[in-house]
Amino acid sequence: MILRGAYRHLVPWFSLCCLLLSGAARAEVTVTDAHGEHTFEQIPERVVTISWAMTENVIELGVTPVGVADIEGYNEWVVRPAVPDGVDDIGKRGEPSIEELAALKPDVIIISNGQEGLIDKLEQVAPVLYFNAFGAEQDNARAARRIFRETAKLFGQEERAQRKLDAMDARFDELRQQLHDHFGEALPPVTGVRFNNQSVVFIYGANALSQYALNHLGIEPAMDIPPSQWGIAQKKLTSLSQMSKDSVLLYFKPAPGVERLFESPLWQAMPVARAGHVAGVESTWSYGGAMSIRYLAEAMTDALLTIEP
Amino acid sequence: MTSAGTLARPGLVLGQSMALRYALALAALVAALLFHLSLNSPLSLADQWGLLWGRPPESFEDFQFVYAALPRVILAVLVGAVMALVGSLLQQVTQNPLLSPMTLGAASGAWLALVCLSVWAPALTSDWGAWFALGGSIVSVVLVLLIAGRGGLSGLPVILAGMATHILMGAIATAIILLNQYATNNLFIWGAGDLTQTDWQWVTWLLPKLSVAVIVLLLAPRPLTLLRLGDAGAGARGLSTGPVLVVLLLLSLWLVASAITAVGVISFIGLITPNIARNLGARRAGDELVFSLLLGAVFLLLTDCIAVAASGWFPDMVPSGTAAALIGAPALIWFARKRLSARDQTALELPEGVPRVSRRTWLLAPVVLLALVLLSLCFKPDAFSFLHPLQSLRWPSDLVLSLRWPRIVTAACAGVGMALAGLILQRLIRNPLASPDILGMSAGATLALVLFTVFVGGSIHEAGPFVAFAGSAGVLALLLVLGRRTQYSPGIMILVGISLAAMIEAMVQFVLAKATEDAYTIIGWLSGSTYRVSDAKALWLAGGTVILFGLALATSRWLTLISAGDAIAEARGLNTSRARLLLLVLVCACCALVTAIMGPIAFVGLLAPHVATLMGARKVWPQLWLAPLVGMVLMLFSDWLGWSLLYPKQMPAGTIAAILGGSYFIFLLARRRLR
Repeated sequence: MILRGAYRHLVPWFSLCCLLLSGAARAEVTVTDAHGEHTFEQIPERVVTISWAMTENVIELGVTPVGVADIEGYNEWVVRPAVPDGVDDIGKRGEPSIEELAALKPDVIIISNGQEGLIDKLEQVAPVLYFNAFGAEQDNARAARRIFRETAKLFGQEERAQRKLDAMDARFDELRQQLHDHFGEALPPVTGVRFNNQSVVFIYGANALSQYALNHLGIEPAMDIPPSQWGIAQKKLTSLSQMSKDSVLLYFKPAPGVERLFESPLWQAMPVARAGHVAGVESTWSYGGAMSIRYLAEAMTDALLTIEP
Repeated sequence: MTSAGTLARPGLVLGQSMALRYALALAALVAALLFHLSLNSPLSLADQWGLLWGRPPESFEDFQFVYAALPRVILAVLVGAVMALVGSLLQQVTQNPLLSPMTLGAASGAWLALVCLSVWAPALTSDWGAWFALGGSIVSVVLVLLIAGRGGLSGLPVILAGMATHILMGAIATAIILLNQYATNNLFIWGAGDLTQTDWQWVTWLLPKLSVAVIVLLLAPRPLTLLRLGDAGAGARGLSTGPVLVVLLLLSLWLVASAITAVGVISFIGLITPNIARNLGARRAGDELVFSLLLGAVFLLLTDCIAVAASGWFPDMVPSGTAAALIGAPALIWFARKRLSARDQTALELPEGVPRVSRRTWLLAPVVLLALVLLSLCFKPDAFSFLHPLQSLRWPSDLVLSLRWPRIVTAACAGVGMALAGLILQRLIRNPLASPDILGMSAGATLALVLFTVFVGGSIHEAGPFVAFAGSAGVLALLLVLGRRTQYSPGIMILVGISLAAMIEAMVQFVLAKATEDAYTIIGWLSGSTYRVSDAKALWLAGGTVILFGLALATSRWLTLISAGDAIAEARGLNTSRARLLLLVLVCACCALVTAIMGPIAFVGLLAPHVATLMGARKVWPQLWLAPLVGMVLMLFSDWLGWSLLYPKQMPAGTIAAILGGSYFIFLLARRRLR
């Protein structure tokens, strides 16, 4: 802590010197996380990520972490981008093994929601960056983009990050064009859900990354779900009857037992189901980083294109 | 021993006329049905009537009425009636007003079975889930009945055995959930207990299975009536009630297991309804069965109305089980508070062991403790091999030391704290099965912390000791108010404990049902982990434990006198009610301290004093020294096993302690029965 404080005083002087000696290699990086600015003397090489979203960000930036929490779970739920071979598993995300982590001698540890309580312990090993990726009071998708940029700054990969974000926006334009080609001038309102069982459903609302992706494709939400920390609300299945027959319902896979649900008379009586405006989205992680928004948009567009306009 | 005959209190006007009582109950049933339908369906009564008599559904509202509102109402009636019927049967057979399907552990077996299935064979869940739940439920109830034995059915032993099995199975399920996040997400709604329906599938599944209820109703009244005369009385009339009762128990087990499988964990209906039925004047055996059945349907309908209405107000839906527990817990305490008194002292005799502590034990115990501390400090799991086990031991680096010492201190102090709380409580209640985790003291702290995170927000790890102390103090106040009349009898304390535990579970399941990341944080905390304890907190805990240990030593004379009996204690000049009060405060302080820092710890408080007795510490003074030592050893071993077994994955010490302690406890009880 003392060191960090000292750095803070040194930063302006140091950067001034750098300016004066312009041409000297830019060695120092400053990034801002949820707790303020952190300055690193040089670009960190050995990084450990504990939250899956941060793991995703780091790998997307072309950096291979030395250690990651719960690789098995990541490979099952987040899927892409894949964790490269040879990365060490440091245990579960809630209680990763700090000793295993310390043995990796990291230069920086990146964590996110659910791990804020670990900061004191982790700081004994290496500097910690804590990003608040999901919160009811913020726009999660904007936060995801900001965190992606900050992470890129840490690794000196700003150009790559900008390129990827630009590519994502360009991809959004393409997908929007595809949708307009398919549906015409007016796109139908869409809401994404995850079926819990035959009678309960999770509805993605205003603060969900998938809803942000839809907004960027020029699509309005079909149901009004107020923002919450993770962007979902748990509702009775029958609440989906509020969706009009002009709207589209997308459900995220895996959805076991969905065939039986679709055969039930109650389901078939829903306006949106009667109109045949229901499509399944290939399995995509809903609580990821900035690039997962692109995967969400692509998967949802694929699903939307299967619907008859 | 309490008997159902004395439980039915006369004096209520309703009790005067049975016909009037049934007429009113039926009217209440119809009113509840109509109210429920009007809440759950926007259709007018006339439209609903038309649909009932065959008008084909057209609009979505019509379909919603036919395929969602109607099956839900029918399921509520069926499940409520069956739970109450079985509750009444169990309470009459055992003559124990605190017994219900849930206190027998029916739900926990089903929960464990479903968790295992969805982690290791998810493909089977949609087709075979119901049968696995049914099997798990039956296995756990049979286990509890075997542990309690016939002699234990009428008193507290069966309830404690049920709680023990419940905690053990819950701990195993928690360990599996923590290691396999998300795989069990779809189960949480079942765990919270919900009646929401979207077709007639569950009604048609459940209805034939419930038809055996008719057999119960026809078969049960006669043996139950005879049972009230006592076994001797029945024998004198040339009737052996045993075989009939076994058949009845098996049938009711089947009924309950089916109902739980269909709708999940909905507690309290089976426990409270028969008590209310007796309160309203149902006195004869058959009368109580039928009237409970009727009332059960009404109560579940009404609580489900609350769930339906609340789901409309809150951004997330409220499961029926949550509503039932939030209303049921206070209702249970209210209805049963006068009924329980100090007379229910049926204690389980556990094996006693050697008569005094040998010198070898006194020498060996600190050596074992020291060895465990060194093992926890020096063990390096990734360097371990069975060929050269010693190579995995090396003196820790500064960093490793700084990471491990707070855990070791926390585990050891938690062991001491829970052992002291258990010891004092067992002496106070004179029941070797009493334990702070079963009696609601840790539960109070836990409930406060969980409620705090649900309603105030923020991390449960940050909520802090003050909230925990507030929770424990709340329970203490409740115990004092409720217990004053009954001299703090075990019955009322266990009742409060059970009610709070069920309320906590309902709250936790409500949070879990949202299936966000927070759910896993809360489960992790609830399983009692030393992982996140900071240096400062560990030191606070150590200081607090030393003070509490000193206070406990200071009360040893009180404890000796109280365990000899109130009469003797009073004769020696001890103000027993004041001593009890102070000892209770001490127990609460121990529980709140440990729970606030580390989370709830099960079984240590039960087992540590008992193991100390087994080793010969029968008197208070040696037990006060030996039980904390045993508690420390158990917690240190659990903590070490937790982080080294699946390294780098970690399992919370509390979960390991619950599994180790629970298994040993059930082994002890089983051995007692086999003798």
